[in-house]
Amino acid sequence: MLCEKCKIREANIQYTEVVNGVKKEHHFCAQCAKEMDFGVYAAIFDGEFPLGKLLSGLLGIEDTEKGPDKLQQIACPTCGTSYSEFVKDSRFGCADCYSVFGPLMEDSIKQLQGSLMHTGKTPAFQRMDHESQNEDSDEDGSDNSRNELCELDARLKEALRFEDYETAAVCRDRIKELRKGNEGNA
Amino acid sequence: MKAMLKWYEQTDNGRSGVISSRIRLVRNWKEYKFPSKLDEKESSEMIHRLEFGLKDLGEELSSPLTFSMLGDLNELDRVALKERRAINSSIAGKKTPVGILLSESEDTGIIFNGDDHIRIQALKTGLHLEELWEQASSIDDYLNERFPYAFDDRYGYLTAFPTNVGTGMRASVVVHLPMLSQGRKFSSLIGEMGRFGAAIRGVYGEGEDNFGALYEVSNQKTLGQTEREIIDTVTKAAIQLTNQEMQVRKLSLQRRKVEREDEIYKSYGVLKYARRLTSRDAMIFLSQMMAGLEDGLIHTKEEFNVYRLMLGIWPAGLQKISDRPLNKEELDMARAEFIRKELPELN
Repeated sequence: MLCEKCKIREANIQYTEVVNGVKKEHHFCAQCAKEMDFGVYAAIFDGEFPLGKLLSGLLGIEDTEKGPDKLQQIACPTCGTSYSEFVKDSRFGCADCYSVFGPLMEDSIKQLQGSLMHTGKTPAFQRMDHESQNEDSDEDGSDNSRNELCELDARLKEALRFEDYETAAVCRDRIKELRKGNEGNA
Repeated sequence: MKAMLKWYEQTDNGRSGVISSRIRLVRNWKEYKFPSKLDEKESSEMIHRLEFGLKDLGEELSSPLTFSMLGDLNELDRVALKERRAINSSIAGKKTPVGILLSESEDTGIIFNGDDHIRIQALKTGLHLEELWEQASSIDDYLNERFPYAFDDRYGYLTAFPTNVGTGMRASVVVHLPMLSQGRKFSSLIGEMGRFGAAIRGVYGEGEDNFGALYEVSNQKTLGQTEREIIDTVTKAAIQLTNQEMQVRKLSLQRRKVEREDEIYKSYGVLKYARRLTSRDAMIFLSQMMAGLEDGLIHTKEEFNVYRLMLGIWPAGLQKISDRPLNKEELDMARAEFIRKELPELN
């Protein structure tokens, strides 16, 4: 079937429009579909996150059903992203947004990703973090070095903020030493 | 000393129709809000801390890495990086600070403060997703040892866009499908691929406008599958597509060999002698050459990597060679000259 707009290219996008309960089907080629104002759906054809804005489409529809007012007031306490901002950009502002907006969008994520459960790689360092916490309660020595590590990290951060790279280098080297020592103990 | 070959200049004759593979991982550092919520000062601070923490990574990889701030590069260099696929258009257009750590051959890159804090990319010619995944994953471990990630037991690696959450991985393969893409069934084939989780898009545009017939196959989903399952899906899709392409080509060799030879030699002639070439024509003729070489219809005296030319004919790259801004006509001339120089003699 040819695209109903340009009538030149093969139509590979089917667009179903429902206006006042009347269903209408359209067939477009990707190029025309991209140029036309499909609002959020146009983003499907863009770049690397082909489904990025689709989510806001899904959420947008949900939004009107559930009554927008209550949801509008929800905002992430860490980064200030509001629900409407989130729906508009389909973009999280920080890691905590996942727990704030997560429950509202489970269905959409499921629709988008086909799953709600990560089964891939897990970060090696986070695992070590849990383990070392357990060890800390038994051993005073590693507790001390852990405190020193935290302090050094803070000092490193501070030094970098003021572009004091000499101090930063000293802190970095000490952190390296301590980490090596910890590995040796484990 | 001869300059090191870029990744796309290296040849891999493993599988006809497969051009290159890429693994991309996105990660975020627990300590900061995602890039869209960082102001300029916070962005710069984070980038410098990341860069500082990764000072020894080049040694670890035994391949020196060069760091630069995207904002410090001139417009031309920035666009050229995009043309060579080292960065994507979303990153190239960013107004807030972005840092890039890039290996000399540009096969390994880490972008700081793009859409996410960390974007690891590994590229190679040929079909090598598994190997690239191992490479990217060890860089990922190295980073994670220094910078704790935003990770959730349920959602996996947390990313700015819900389309990347989970593994944060995009595995992609660029394939060359000049004959298959002309067939009537191509759009239904794309649909079929979608059903088992692979997305296909034209590298230089959609449908008929994708001159040169390069297509990128990648995973649609990032959550609920392991990295190896994703790699498996994309690899299978790439093999499936190139196999079908080769079948169509085999048929064309049986039925209309003379026409094909004629087309290919004409393409070579134009590429070898034209004084002006638009990017559209250059891509179409180079695509013909590529298929001709693969099908053994044409032979060059030296080994010849067509993809390198396909990446080299775009405005920023040509202007870098000429070392001055060029208008459209001058670009067409520079393009023809570049190809003329690079095209080897026939055997």
